Amino acid sequence: MSSLTPLSSPLSSPFAHSNQSIRRLMFKVQLAVIPALLVHLYLFGFGIIIQWALAFATLMLVEFSMLKLRNRPVRPFITDMSAMITATVLVFCIPAGAPWWIIVSGTAFALIFGKHIYGGLGYNPFNPAMLGYAFLLLSFPVQMTQWTAPTEILDYSVNFTNSLHLIFTGSLPQTALDIVSTATPLSQLQTGVSQGQGVTESLNPIALEAQTHYINGSFVNGFFYSTAQFFSLNSWAWVNVAFLIGGLWLLAVRAIRWQYPVGFLSSLTLISLIFYTIDPNTYPPVDFMLLSGGTMLAAFFIITDPVTSSTTPKGRFIFACSIGILVYVIRTWGIFPDGITFAVLLMNIAVPLIDQYTQPRVYGHK
Amino acid sequence: MKQLIIRLLSFIYPMAKRGLHRFHGGIFPKSYKSLSLKHPIVSSPIPERLILPVKQLSGQKIDWHVAVGDTVQKNQCLISAAKENTKGIIVPIHAPTSGIIEAIEMAPLPHPSGLNACSIIIKPDFEDRTLENVLNMNGTRPETPQQLKNILLNAGIVGLGGAGFPTFAKLPNQTGLIKTLIINGAECEPFITCDDVLMQTQAQDILKGALMVAQTLDIPQIVCGIEANKPAAIQAMQTVADALTKSNSTQIRIQALPAAYPMGGEKQLIQELMEIEIPAKTHAIDSGLLVFNVATFAAIFKAIHLGEPLTQRLVTVAGLGLKCSYNTYARIGTPFITLAQAGQPKQPIQTPLIMGGPMMGFQVADNQVPVIKTTNCILVQPPEPVQATVMPCIRCGDCMDACPVNLLPQQMYWHSQAHEFDKVEKLNVFDCIECGCCSYVCPSHIPLVQFYRHAKSEIKHIHAEQQAAELAKQRHEFRLARIEREKQEREARIKAKKAAVKNQAASAKPEPKSDPKTSGATTPAKSAAMKAAAARAAAKRAQNKTSQPAEKSPPLSARQKAIDAAKKQAAAKVGSKIAPNKDPRTSAKQAAKKAAAMAAAKRRAQNNNEAELTTKSTTEAKMDSKTNHSETSEPSKLAINEKRQKAMEAAKKRAAERKARQAQQESS
Repeated sequence: MSSLTPLSSPLSSPFAHSNQSIRRLMFKVQLAVIPALLVHLYLFGFGIIIQWALAFATLMLVEFSMLKLRNRPVRPFITDMSAMITATVLVFCIPAGAPWWIIVSGTAFALIFGKHIYGGLGYNPFNPAMLGYAFLLLSFPVQMTQWTAPTEILDYSVNFTNSLHLIFTGSLPQTALDIVSTATPLSQLQTGVSQGQGVTESLNPIALEAQTHYINGSFVNGFFYSTAQFFSLNSWAWVNVAFLIGGLWLLAVRAIRWQYPVGFLSSLTLISLIFYTIDPNTYPPVDFMLLSGGTMLAAFFIITDPVTSSTTPKGRFIFACSIGILVYVIRTWGIFPDGITFAVLLMNIAVPLIDQYTQPRVYGHK
Repeated sequence: MKQLIIRLLSFIYPMAKRGLHRFHGGIFPKSYKSLSLKHPIVSSPIPERLILPVKQLSGQKIDWHVAVGDTVQKNQCLISAAKENTKGIIVPIHAPTSGIIEAIEMAPLPHPSGLNACSIIIKPDFEDRTLENVLNMNGTRPETPQQLKNILLNAGIVGLGGAGFPTFAKLPNQTGLIKTLIINGAECEPFITCDDVLMQTQAQDILKGALMVAQTLDIPQIVCGIEANKPAAIQAMQTVADALTKSNSTQIRIQALPAAYPMGGEKQLIQELMEIEIPAKTHAIDSGLLVFNVATFAAIFKAIHLGEPLTQRLVTVAGLGLKCSYNTYARIGTPFITLAQAGQPKQPIQTPLIMGGPMMGFQVADNQVPVIKTTNCILVQPPEPVQATVMPCIRCGDCMDACPVNLLPQQMYWHSQAHEFDKVEKLNVFDCIECGCCSYVCPSHIPLVQFYRHAKSEIKHIHAEQQAAELAKQRHEFRLARIEREKQEREARIKAKKAAVKNQAASAKPEPKSDPKTSGATTPAKSAAMKAAAARAAAKRAQNKTSQPAEKSPPLSARQKAIDAAKKQAAAKVGSKIAPNKDPRTSAKQAAKKAAAMAAAKRRAQNNNEAELTTKSTTEAKMDSKTNHSETSEPSKLAINEKRQKAMEAAKKRAAERKARQAQQESS
């Protein structure tokens, strides 16, 4: 043979690619958080922005040092945006006014012990954000349950400098108040029910608060609250609605699979409907269950983490349904106000088992 | 209605298109088909040299009809499978043009391995002198399936869709076995348009070819599946089909299929057209279906109608690296680079060309490789992925959603990466059709198909090793049995000698107590035993001579003879020699067991034989010498057998005596 062309090492088919990449996937998830971020910003003040900045700084530092220590290429892994999702989820889980070291230690724990220890992206058995949250909840229960009161209750919008002051010093300037915090509807409900009050009484104060502010608030506030009134939603519910909108977009762009939200929300709806029908005075209504705490965040952003969830279609559905049931169980009968963290971690352990028994039928096999 | 909803939905959710077709998953890559459709078909010039690789399979002989320096004419048969090949799947090669056989030498093969193969190199004389109707056809369809098969074999027709399996071997021998004949016009790979163009221009040939096959094999129905993105082809085929159904009883249905990759896969096409799944580990033919590519039918028609063998095919030369992608009637044997250069490359071609489409094609090791019968496309530059860094698997499950076979690509990848090949096999990796859908959608850019290919070859290797180990175990057991048998024989021999000596002594001074009858019986028995022992020793020597060299060179018939002989001897001896010591029934059982083990070993050796038939010629000489050897020992064996029988009788008598004596002692 005369003219042998110099050839590179043989590559295997296929030679075409859809140009999908992990970074794009993670970026889509990041974009989908924006509605919730805006609502959170509006309702709870600037705290979340500061927390996010703190989390971002921490994750860059942790990722860089961990990748260096693990002797892995830094650039492709630090730019894959997967750590960003972990940090984002964690930021939404903690109170906006929590001290700075909460988010820093939480993010660091989530990334180091939730991800890198197991071998980095793709090898972690537990959802890193949930591991970080569990760590914070168990280590700093006081700080983790002191939620900054939403503007609707407080009638006082925490501005940027004040948030900064609050997060770094633990108190607000120019006010006599030491800390402005409130219980979330979920914990309020739990306290209420445990004290023998009915569900409606336990939940009422929030609605009453909202009403007063409709009268006193500015026009924009007034418009917002009238809408809120129309749907009778509280601030937490609004954040949940924002997550729902972002999540639906994620479904449309195939960043997440439908089995997760559908399985999770339907099982949660079903179980709360059953118990609410049995005893409406002890068990909260369905809409409250779906729109409080981190329900929507979990449905579209937490349990959808592909690494730690089941891979088979049936398995995903079982995984999501089981989390829904566990969340209800922990919320209703457990000691923690919101059960998503532990429900997710528990089901993460069950994933290999689920995968094993939900393998689809291969073409031509009976 | 459902289709309309899905079409509307696909505007906001593109993957909704997966609901349009019946097989699982599938992808929708950019087709790039317009590149080569823009230009008319060109007839490619005769190249400077034609390279015709000769497919060689172990154990299959080839008849060479030409030698270096011969002048050949177009359509002249160059090689064919030798007559003695009974299950041969070698088809003849015909000269694509007239010229001189320049050389018969090793040349690179268009194969993923990049190996060289023995090839016939023709230097064309550019006169293109043609032998007309070399197959001696009168233009009418053959009467019997066997006739049709012969024509297809002689015309050198193989599956032109890509697999390249000889077409004649796919056909059944009887009529009525096939219920539906399927024409594969899906052509789902990006860039490739040769089938599309063929359907547009030669719809007559394709459908008439199909009709001939259908009528010969008595197939009542012909179904042709064409992807909906080829409206011109569907139109052309439909027109011809309408005309043909008027004059024939065979039903012809042209069906437009939703465009999705891999629609052209045989099993996927069947699922789409017939709504059935081919059960695992069976072929389409077992379900009464016969599938051929459109180009195959066109070739069949030409062979039957014009007596023309397969010497050229329609090839798409396309790619982003070409200014002018085109379809061409390329002669088999044309070097790739010649065709690629004709497409006006944008830059000088430095990278390896790809045979086939971007999804399932492979890079050739040398751009000089020739067009072969299965070359449907020469791809000059596939679309490069933007980001190529391989990231870890994030278990997103996109691969699983895309898999047309409904496998779990992610799990198979996980296990094959961990070298847990038993688990990979359990996940049905052998059902993988290597379509590349999983790799195409993988956000981590993992070359998944490569992992499955590797896993498949590893699993095959492991199975081969297991078989070899099993064989070795059998051999070892056989050896142990033989040693044990020889030991027993030796003991028996010694015993016989001792008995003989004792008897001699006994006969020299007769005992008062002994029964005169027994002593009378022992004397002839003794001498017989002695003779038998001597004969056995001789036989042993002869046997050793034959069996020892036979064991060194395993797969020989001489060895089998030796084993047979040894087996007989062993069976006889074990029966006779152990009888005095043990219960005859158990010893017989043992002998039977041993015989069974040996028979098994023999069978395995025979299998080995078949595998190593290629080395036949080298070992033939040895074989001859050995068979001679065993023949010489044949007469002596016969003598031995007689003597042995005598010895056996004697031994039986002795045993009876001993038992009688024992009984006496016990009773007294």
